[in-house]
Amino acid sequence: MEFNKIRELLDRYWDGTSTLEEEEALRSFFSSDQADLPADLKEAQPLFSYFAAEADVPMPVFPDIEIPVTRTPERPVKQLVWQHWMKYAAVVLVAVGIGYAARQAEARHDRITAALSEQDTFDDPEKAFAVTQKALALLSRNLNKGTAQMQKLSYFNEATEKIKAN
Amino acid sequence: MSLTIFLSQVVPVRQKLYRFAYRLLENEEDAMDITQDALMKVWQQQERMNDLQNMEAWCMRIVRNLALDKLKSRKYRRSEGLDKAGDVPAQHQPNPHTAAEQQDVMNRVHRVIAALPEKYRTIMQLRDIDGYSYQEIADILVIELSEVKINLHRARKTVREQLQKLQVYGV
Repeated sequence: MEFNKIRELLDRYWDGTSTLEEEEALRSFFSSDQADLPADLKEAQPLFSYFAAEADVPMPVFPDIEIPVTRTPERPVKQLVWQHWMKYAAVVLVAVGIGYAARQAEARHDRITAALSEQDTFDDPEKAFAVTQKALALLSRNLNKGTAQMQKLSYFNEATEKIKAN
Repeated sequence: MSLTIFLSQVVPVRQKLYRFAYRLLENEEDAMDITQDALMKVWQQQERMNDLQNMEAWCMRIVRNLALDKLKSRKYRRSEGLDKAGDVPAQHQPNPHTAAEQQDVMNRVHRVIAALPEKYRTIMQLRDIDGYSYQEIADILVIELSEVKINLHRARKTVREQLQKLQVYGV
């Protein structure tokens, strides 16, 4: 292959745009003995020689996988669940804690409300009577104000009726 | 997944898995252990096999995770690997001097590649040594296709710059 073609492929290679086939062509070119390469191509030669050497890593003798695999038939799903028991326990504990705290807070609130409702406002009945009277007087005053206004309206109604009758 | 499928589809990938583990750990025994562990893990997760689009990529991903865990777990010390590449016999060099020179060059390239960030290095190795496609690399590393291309471009650029330095300054 002429050097120009290799240069073109190398440019694409350095740019990261070369295809697998083009890279294979480069590997194949540099794997053959190239004694008098131009300087720009020489730059890439050690790299491709290195790739070729690394692809040729000697393989060890692998131990038999079939026996250990057959001894471990299937990983039971239940075991998976129990492997994470601490997570689940923590979640349950937090939930119980929150529930307990909420119940306690509610009970306390109820107790306070009950205690307040049972408590008398006044110890002295006369004072209580006086305050009640005052409150009723205020209510009555306000009602009377409303009635006075209604009285005026009734005068007006009566007048209207009389005019209509005439 | 039956044992037959496991033996016919997963076990044959073992050599690729070992090579990948070996490159990450640079230790034969550990690479072997990780490969075995990965196979056992695949077998244990056999119920997932039906949902997988690329089983080989999944196996490679398991190997990578196990190897990286090992590297992290006990401040794993990668052997310097100075002579790892040199261990490969220079078959075309009958002359011992030329062979030694060749080994020296290999060691230098090895150091340049080893100095790359893990992701760059892995992407470059998966592409240039194992010949995986961009999509397969993306599946193995669980990253976007575009990220594979960008990182590969950056890795090659860095390697090229370092190789040029080596040739010009011999450092």
